[in-house]
Amino acid sequence: MGFLPNDTIEVIAQSIGINNLSPDVAQALAPDVEYRLREIMQEAVKCQRHSKRTILTTEDVDSALSLRNVEPIYGFASEDPLKFKKALGHADLFYIEDKDLEFKDVVEAPLPKTPLETAVVVHWLAIEGVQPAIPENPTSGALVVPSENKKTEHDKDHGLPIDVKLPVKHVLSRELQLYFEKITELIVTQAGSTLFKEALVSLSTDSGLHPLVPYFTQFIADEVTRSLGDCTLLFALMRVVRSLLHNSHIHIEPHLHQLMPSVITCLVAKRLGTRFTQNHWELRDSTAYLVAFICRRFGHVYHNLQPRVTRTLLHAFLDPKKALTQHYGAIQGLAAMGPSVVRLLILPNLEPYLKLLEPEMVLESQKNEIKRHEAWRVYGALLQAAGRCIFERVKLFPGLLSLPVHSTLESSIKVATTFDPGNLSSTLRKRKASEVFSSQHSSKKTATDGSVASFSTESLPDSIGATSEGQAVVKLGESTLVKVTGQNSDENVTGNSRREKGLLNKSERAGSVLAQAWKEDADAGQLLASLVDLFGEGMLMFFASSDMSLFL
Amino acid sequence: MEESEIENAVMAYLKRKGFRQTELALQEEQRKTSSSAAKTDPEIAKQIIAYAELDNGPVRYREEYSRLRTWTYNSLDVHKHELLRVLYPVFIHCFMDLVAKGHSQEARSFFQSFREDHEPSHLRDLQKLEGVLSPHHLEEMEFAHCLRQNKVTMKLCKYSYELLLQHLHKTESMVMLGVINERINLQVPPGQPCSNSEEVEVVALTGSSQEAVEQINQKEIHWGVLEDSLEERLEKEILAAEAEKAEAEDKEGHGEESKKKAGEGGKSGGPNKKMKKDKLTGTTGKGVRTEANVVSSAPRVKAELTMPTISMEVERSALEDLRNRARLSSSALPSVSFYTFVNTHYSLNCASISHDGGLVVGGFSDSSLKVWNMSKMGEQHGEVADGQNEHSAGLDVGKRSYTLLQGHAGPVYAANFSPEGEYILSASADNTVRLWSSKLNANLVCYKGHNYAVWDVQFSPVGHYFVSASHDRTARVWSMDRIHPLRIMAGHLSDVDCVQWHANCNYIATGSSDKTVRLWDVQTGECVRMFVGHHGMVLSIAMSPDGRYMASGDENGTIRMWDLSSGRCITPLTGHTSCIWTLAFSCEGSLLASGSADCTVKLWDVNASSRTPRMEEKAASAQRLRLLKALPTKSTPVHALRFSRRNLLFAAGAFTKSP
Repeated sequence: MGFLPNDTIEVIAQSIGINNLSPDVAQALAPDVEYRLREIMQEAVKCQRHSKRTILTTEDVDSALSLRNVEPIYGFASEDPLKFKKALGHADLFYIEDKDLEFKDVVEAPLPKTPLETAVVVHWLAIEGVQPAIPENPTSGALVVPSENKKTEHDKDHGLPIDVKLPVKHVLSRELQLYFEKITELIVTQAGSTLFKEALVSLSTDSGLHPLVPYFTQFIADEVTRSLGDCTLLFALMRVVRSLLHNSHIHIEPHLHQLMPSVITCLVAKRLGTRFTQNHWELRDSTAYLVAFICRRFGHVYHNLQPRVTRTLLHAFLDPKKALTQHYGAIQGLAAMGPSVVRLLILPNLEPYLKLLEPEMVLESQKNEIKRHEAWRVYGALLQAAGRCIFERVKLFPGLLSLPVHSTLESSIKVATTFDPGNLSSTLRKRKASEVFSSQHSSKKTATDGSVASFSTESLPDSIGATSEGQAVVKLGESTLVKVTGQNSDENVTGNSRREKGLLNKSERAGSVLAQAWKEDADAGQLLASLVDLFGEGMLMFFASSDMSLFL
Repeated sequence: MEESEIENAVMAYLKRKGFRQTELALQEEQRKTSSSAAKTDPEIAKQIIAYAELDNGPVRYREEYSRLRTWTYNSLDVHKHELLRVLYPVFIHCFMDLVAKGHSQEARSFFQSFREDHEPSHLRDLQKLEGVLSPHHLEEMEFAHCLRQNKVTMKLCKYSYELLLQHLHKTESMVMLGVINERINLQVPPGQPCSNSEEVEVVALTGSSQEAVEQINQKEIHWGVLEDSLEERLEKEILAAEAEKAEAEDKEGHGEESKKKAGEGGKSGGPNKKMKKDKLTGTTGKGVRTEANVVSSAPRVKAELTMPTISMEVERSALEDLRNRARLSSSALPSVSFYTFVNTHYSLNCASISHDGGLVVGGFSDSSLKVWNMSKMGEQHGEVADGQNEHSAGLDVGKRSYTLLQGHAGPVYAANFSPEGEYILSASADNTVRLWSSKLNANLVCYKGHNYAVWDVQFSPVGHYFVSASHDRTARVWSMDRIHPLRIMAGHLSDVDCVQWHANCNYIATGSSDKTVRLWDVQTGECVRMFVGHHGMVLSIAMSPDGRYMASGDENGTIRMWDLSSGRCITPLTGHTSCIWTLAFSCEGSLLASGSADCTVKLWDVNASSRTPRMEEKAASAQRLRLLKALPTKSTPVHALRFSRRNLLFAAGAFTKSP
């Protein structure tokens, strides 16, 4: 029943010389012994508590016995833990090993070392609530746990007033200060060097840079406003921003609001760089990708980030008073954010915009070479954006590709046939003529290819200035086409010219063939058609060549 | 209901009781009335049958209890809370009934099988009861005896009550019904079931009944601070002499500081200077006045004891300290100076620090007291003062860094400095309290009166009087000049483990192993408050300087903050994981420091909790005291804490190598 079996009582009785203990007595004694034992242990625990210990010792039991007025156990407590040995012949009978000691050995044993004297040492556990990092205090590793406890404690009592902390002076270590100085110097002076590249790598990987983030953002903001004319510097700054954004060890979110204006400036500023020769197009392109990257990365944290950025860009794009360079930046920025942004924001405005853009591109109306170049740039950007978008759409609906593309191909070939890099006015005329006659010359196919090729080179951001006459004309040719079709489309929405009608019919047919005339599909088809109308064969290069080769 | 069954039962009963005549008479009568075939009332029949079944009682106890338990656990969540509470008293009474009837074996197995349910909240009680195996143990053991004597009062909402009764009747759990009727006083207030967990905790089975506690707590107490206190005088004085003070303070503050600096060694010299600066900045008139206002908001009461006279010198230094007091709040935490005892080999039982931190005393299990004078640290110093005036010869005295006080004949469990630090009191397992002079390093008086080991001793805030707590379940109030106690406070059901004076010296608080804290009137010697709520033995008590609050810490690491006037627990402070050895309020009462066996000092914000209840008494219970800071030590359990009059916190503990 209890934890003391009757056998134990019998064994104890035998040990004190009572050999014939009746089982009844043992049975009656066992529970009582247990009760007394528990009583003593309870008192021993009290003594242990009053000795301010959390470990129960034999001394406590002695004290408990004396509290109970029980004769104490004489003799010295053993230093080692007691060894229990199994009694031979009994399954669960144990005894404590008690060796006989030779008296001589005990007497002759060397004296034990005197224990060290008790002493008191003083240290600061805390100075105004802060624990100094001295050896007497636990190491900071051990400190982490209580601070967490505290945090949870604070979470628990959220209803309580919060202490307002006074602004704390931000202390930068000497090393960080040096680092900051070195980096800023590099940015300003030798932005092209390999050392600068090393610096960028360091910025994007080092873990200890967090304290410097506010300084960097401030520096970038200052430099961007100060040196809008210095394209190289701006480029370097944008690369620094990119590196900082890529650094996973720093939380740049709180400083993003400070960083964004500078970045947007580099994208849509009216004038970046002093001389025309400076490559501000490239800067705008790379910044556009940076903006898109920021929107992607922090969009989930700041839900209004992307809407705000797109709104800013859209404003720049739709304002006819803004310079073409600004338009370019806006278009690039929007385009970088993905095809859906393009489809929703650029494409609906495409037609009126192109109408505005066209006079800028034509030699007669725009005499300024630079302005014209800019207009062509914008046109290229639009083309690229729309093309990307439609490419994505088409990728979604592969079935659709076949027929419209085919038709476009045909039409583009037609366009190409009328291509004449000599006289613009004649081109216009010829274009019209080509529409009327729609004559097809297979021999001109190569020319088409050529134009496509020239477009692809054109669309590369690197190729700038020195616009070959041929390229310019190709574009102009396109725009005239746009103009013509635009005029036509005014007359009839569904089917302006014969060609358009056919194309649309085809696209509709494509839908029916696929037995999927759902709106999206048709929309895509129409979109493609209208785009082709607007851009001509420029659109084509956005389809994989393999697809194209099917139809060629 | 089978008629024959009832007859058999009745017959068996009569036979067993030896009512031969009645049996015969009954048989006679039965023969006569058998024709009429009168039906027995089914209710009565049921009772008779049930009574007959009482023979196989032990089994019924078990069956019915387990049935009740299953039913309770499956009951609706709304009522479960309340019903579960009923389960515990039913359980222990079932157990004790079984023991009382001599079915110790069944009792044991019954206990073991359901013990786990109640372990979380009643572990200590269960451990005590576990040993009870025979009827005479029940009589002998006070705890069990108390339980048998008193009914437990319990609140149960009407619907739960009906549910319970319905269940018991339906399942014919007569034994359970009997236990509940006999042992539990069910109060059925109308309204919703209370789901407050606080209420559940109150159902700690104390000896005295709930009503008695409430009755005691109705008594009026004057918790205000003493009139004409030093703080009050200081306020007056400030108005009088502002300029003069500044001058004097500069001089004295310097002396004080240099003394302390020497004591704490060169290493801590830096922070010390900082402290001084803070103190000085804190001594602008504005700072002191607002601080004084905090105290003055408490009502004034007259002292019921004759107050000892304070010498001018002492008063002056105390006022000096008050002026230089650093103001503490949740944003201005104190500096903590830690006295670590090394090489104690688990023999340090207690420690105490004088008000200025200059003296530290340790009580050891080898019956000795050792006093360290921190200002003379590093010097060659040491003397043996024998209580029996016998100089222990042959000891190399000169080498010691401390003063050894010998005289006790048992482990020293408590030591305490008088407010000015000139006397030391020590309490020991030899049933005595001894008074020592720290100036003469000699034993002055031995107070004999307790019948068992003395666990704790405390000087009153004004000195002269002191109170001791003992294993003999009493606390005794003494004055230094008499060798017999002035008052004996008896009433605790178990050891009085700790004791503390109220700020106005008219009351003392005692913490006991019976898990209660009681407040006693020193003048009348009667218990005026009883604080129920701790789950383990109460190890430390601290009183707030304004006399309104009391904090008590138990062996489980819970600190409870009590409102003295209402007798209610304002809030439990959880965070410590082991015994709370010591508690201390800062001088103006804004912070509570706790020292625990889990090797931390924790600082709690008192104002956050105590200010609000004045405005909204009800919301206060839900509010928790805020933990401001946890300061871990290097494997040093904290034995003693004390705020100096200047609000520097001293802590002491014995360095224990982690096993």
